[in-house]
Amino acid sequence: MGKTALVVDDSRTMRQMVAFTLTNAGFTVIEAEDGKDAVKKVAGGGKLDIVVTDLNMPEMDGITLIKELRKLASFKFTPILMLTTESAMEKKQEGKAAGATGWIVKPFNPEILLKTIAKVLPV
Amino acid sequence: MEAGAHAMNAGGSSVPGEQALTKLRGHQRAWEVFGTDALKMIPVLQAQLSAVTQETERAAAELMIHLRVLAASHQAGSSADRTESVSKSVVAMQFQDITRQKLEHVGQALALLSRHLHVLLKGPEYVGAQQELAAFVQFEEHYTMEEERRLHQATLAQDYGEPVPTSLSEEGQDSVTLF
Repeated sequence: MGKTALVVDDSRTMRQMVAFTLTNAGFTVIEAEDGKDAVKKVAGGGKLDIVVTDLNMPEMDGITLIKELRKLASFKFTPILMLTTESAMEKKQEGKAAGATGWIVKPFNPEILLKTIAKVLPV
Repeated sequence: MEAGAHAMNAGGSSVPGEQALTKLRGHQRAWEVFGTDALKMIPVLQAQLSAVTQETERAAAELMIHLRVLAASHQAGSSADRTESVSKSVVAMQFQDITRQKLEHVGQALALLSRHLHVLLKGPEYVGAQQELAAFVQFEEHYTMEEERRLHQATLAQDYGEPVPTSLSEEGQDSVTLF
């Protein structure tokens, strides 16, 4: 059975490019336009294998989203990758403290994104 | 005449005319500070806009290269070349997200300049003045990219004269941090 990814980004083109990359690799992709939308979409309770989220978004940013997801039992061990233009060390530390699994700086290379996902997905 | 009449009372203490002059001087100083900050900020914004132009040009040129490779590999049937070109096209296509953010930050700077001007026009006694002025000085906090911060600092440096390289670092393993 294929894996499911939640892609969260306020930029439609970015969501499409991440979704394009993941769909080509066999993932089923659910898209959300910000943290609030993502929380709404996971409320249904469907199983997600990985979350790829942007940092700076309206309504709810990526760090807050991670904190919200980590409160849910079903997301305690789900890999969550930040995908953002932000590369400042203090922001990365904030992400780590919130419960992020990894941090990828945009622009992303599809092969590197897939390799990183493969590393963090449970075997 | 009136100002002169109110200039000093018998005891030599401050009077309305002098207070008005002090207020005017304070206002003038506030305008001078704004002028100095605005003069610094304008080249920064120009540099940020130039960076956007360079970014779009670079991305368009890269996309053209990959399109040519795709077209050629389609004829020759090379699957590896096609995969690599699609991958590199996805990287190049992300200029839209990056330039959007840069333009938004320039827009935010212009909005702060506008608010700053409004504060000055309201006069030195406007209650929110200090807060508004501080927001303008702290504009750098709006940036989300290292290259924006670098460009900002480089433009403010006195010896700045040439465009600062704005291309993003080579994509690679150093763009990934696993916790």
